[in-house]
Amino acid sequence: MTEQKATNITWHGGSINQEHREQLLGQKGVTVWFTGLSGSGKSTVAREVEKKLFQLGHLVYVLDGDNIRHGLNKNLGFSPEDREENIRRIGEVAHLFTDAGVITLTAFISPYRKDRDKVRGLMKEGQFVEVFVDCALEECEKRDPKGLFKKARAGEIKEFTGISAPYEEPENPEIKLDTKQQTLEESAGAVIEFLKEKGIIKTNSQDAYSDDEKEIINKRLSDLGYV
Amino acid sequence: MRSKGFVRFSNEALMSDLFARPDKTLCFAAAGVSYRKVRKHIMGILKKIITSNNKKRLFVLGLDGTPFTFLQKQMEEGKMPHFQRMLEKGSFLRMNSVIPCISSVAWTSFLTGVNLAKHNLQGFVDRKLNPFRVYIPTARNIAVPTISEILSEAGKRVVSINVPVSYPPKEVNGIQISCFLATDLAKAVYPKHYYSYLKEIGYRIDVDAWQGRKEKEKFLKDIHYTYDKRLEAAYYLMGREDWDYFQLHIMETDRINHFLWEQWESGHETYAAEFDKFYNKVDQLVGDLDARLGNDVEFMILSDHGFCSIKKEVYLNQWLEKNGYLKYKTDAPKSVTDMHPQSKAYSLIPGRIFINLKGREDEGSVAPGNEYESLRQELMEKIIHITDPDTGEKIVKKIYKREDLYSGPFYDDSPDLVVVPNDGFDLKGNIKQPNLTYKGELVGMHTDDDAFFYLRNYDIEPQEFGIIDMLPTIAELMEFPMKEAENFDGSSVLS
Repeated sequence: MTEQKATNITWHGGSINQEHREQLLGQKGVTVWFTGLSGSGKSTVAREVEKKLFQLGHLVYVLDGDNIRHGLNKNLGFSPEDREENIRRIGEVAHLFTDAGVITLTAFISPYRKDRDKVRGLMKEGQFVEVFVDCALEECEKRDPKGLFKKARAGEIKEFTGISAPYEEPENPEIKLDTKQQTLEESAGAVIEFLKEKGIIKTNSQDAYSDDEKEIINKRLSDLGYV
Repeated sequence: MRSKGFVRFSNEALMSDLFARPDKTLCFAAAGVSYRKVRKHIMGILKKIITSNNKKRLFVLGLDGTPFTFLQKQMEEGKMPHFQRMLEKGSFLRMNSVIPCISSVAWTSFLTGVNLAKHNLQGFVDRKLNPFRVYIPTARNIAVPTISEILSEAGKRVVSINVPVSYPPKEVNGIQISCFLATDLAKAVYPKHYYSYLKEIGYRIDVDAWQGRKEKEKFLKDIHYTYDKRLEAAYYLMGREDWDYFQLHIMETDRINHFLWEQWESGHETYAAEFDKFYNKVDQLVGDLDARLGNDVEFMILSDHGFCSIKKEVYLNQWLEKNGYLKYKTDAPKSVTDMHPQSKAYSLIPGRIFINLKGREDEGSVAPGNEYESLRQELMEKIIHITDPDTGEKIVKKIYKREDLYSGPFYDDSPDLVVVPNDGFDLKGNIKQPNLTYKGELVGMHTDDDAFFYLRNYDIEPQEFGIIDMLPTIAELMEFPMKEAENFDGSSVLS
């Protein structure tokens, strides 16, 4: 499915490159790739990060598993081949978004290590941030927000990750979240902190405080009459 | 101590090699001096230099906001016997702070040896432009290396407890426990594993200043508790760590001054004694450290500014608004960031005035060049004459133009004018105050010319100097040449 069918084509670049776009946006293009079991919290965390970054004035976009399967990937199922193609296409889209300077968040189970590594291979060093959304199978099953585990247990869904299809954990993810232990606030905060540390979000990179901490420190300084 | 052993070895090896050359013997013999004797003498000197180079250790005790004249008075009255004893074996001098006189700016100048246009820590609050916002600077905003980083890079072991501005903590070669700018102890400690120890002993970052305003008894308890825990942690680390540079910062002195200075000064029946009691504890600390440190460690004690009673808080933005220099976009502005584009100037605490300059500010209204200069002149001429409407007292002591005070890469971010008040008038940045002055709950304020400096075992000539001269002094004291020295704005008080 991934063979090069079109020939006699040439890559055409303009005078405006990724760096120019990044300057305009005041951020760096990046793909933050959330991977984990169904129900682990990938989309929830991604949406929270999206909200917070947007509030900070950043251009951010979430590529979400189910949404993509409604359109671009509507012809793909859940066989290993289709899963591979699903991730390949999303990887290419994320690559284009990153090149456009967008902070791109993806939320797909993406169970196979080699598929994720292929996407990493598309990007420049530092532009692919793998986030392992770690959550025990039992907990995911307990949450079961879409009722999928129930269906999978009943045999209504074939090749369901974690039940009847494998999930390969990342070996060296940039960020590991534990959504059973961490609050949503903490998980999203960890991702944003990482982006700050790496200089991906520039405008507020020198801010040492979260919004809550700002309140605490403002109160302390105002009690002292310093602000 | 890591690389030092190697340095010592290689120097000695070098010396032996030098003196092993037989032709030298002839020279010394011809001069009528025993070669062996000369060799022994020179070896002794060199060894002393090398060994002392390796062993120069320094302990710095910072007593935030403790005035020189206050200590003098307490000692005269026999209330600080330990400190008084220290005067016989060291130098105790009056020292200048920085302008504007704020702990975070003063200590950052201490830590870096440079003025605020070089280190970029310009206040407890500062502004960012495009878009215009007011924020609280932290250690992340310090643009040049601090003493802990400089010494760490050279392999020296450093411990820094509570020193402003050290939040978030840096990954130093040693330990950093952040200052009051930390909101959460878990994030205030490097390396992280010391957090569990601090949590266990009940370490506190800072007192609850709100109690200082409302419940003085609770506040005093808090002061003693926080201070005791700070000391407990310091003694623990002193004994446990093999340090070259140790800086312990006491913030409770500043806190008690802010809320009880006036009571101390007026001899309040309860609180004056409580005030003395706390400073007596500080005096015991000085004596205790003197004994513990022994004479092979240099011992420095200093403050960053002085203190005096507040007569009135003064709101410069109120004055600017009333005199037509400042307008707001709405009837209920939240901060100066809601300033109307037609505004000419605004102020940030304490006494920093920024001109709403075209091309620099988000919605500038004052053209650079003549218009800017004449506006600054006009403001200086008017503001110097501001008086307290209730008493007619003159509020302003002096007004500086930025070029009189600062130079460096962050000069463009520095205030266009800095107003220095007469003692007793505390300049604030509040907006929408109904009156120019107000007597509030805070009773003590900073002064810029009454900090103190003490150095044990040194006889220092009286001179005019400031906290900015401390890092060059430390470099000389520790016999540690710093490559940053060429950038320093101050100079050593030892030479």
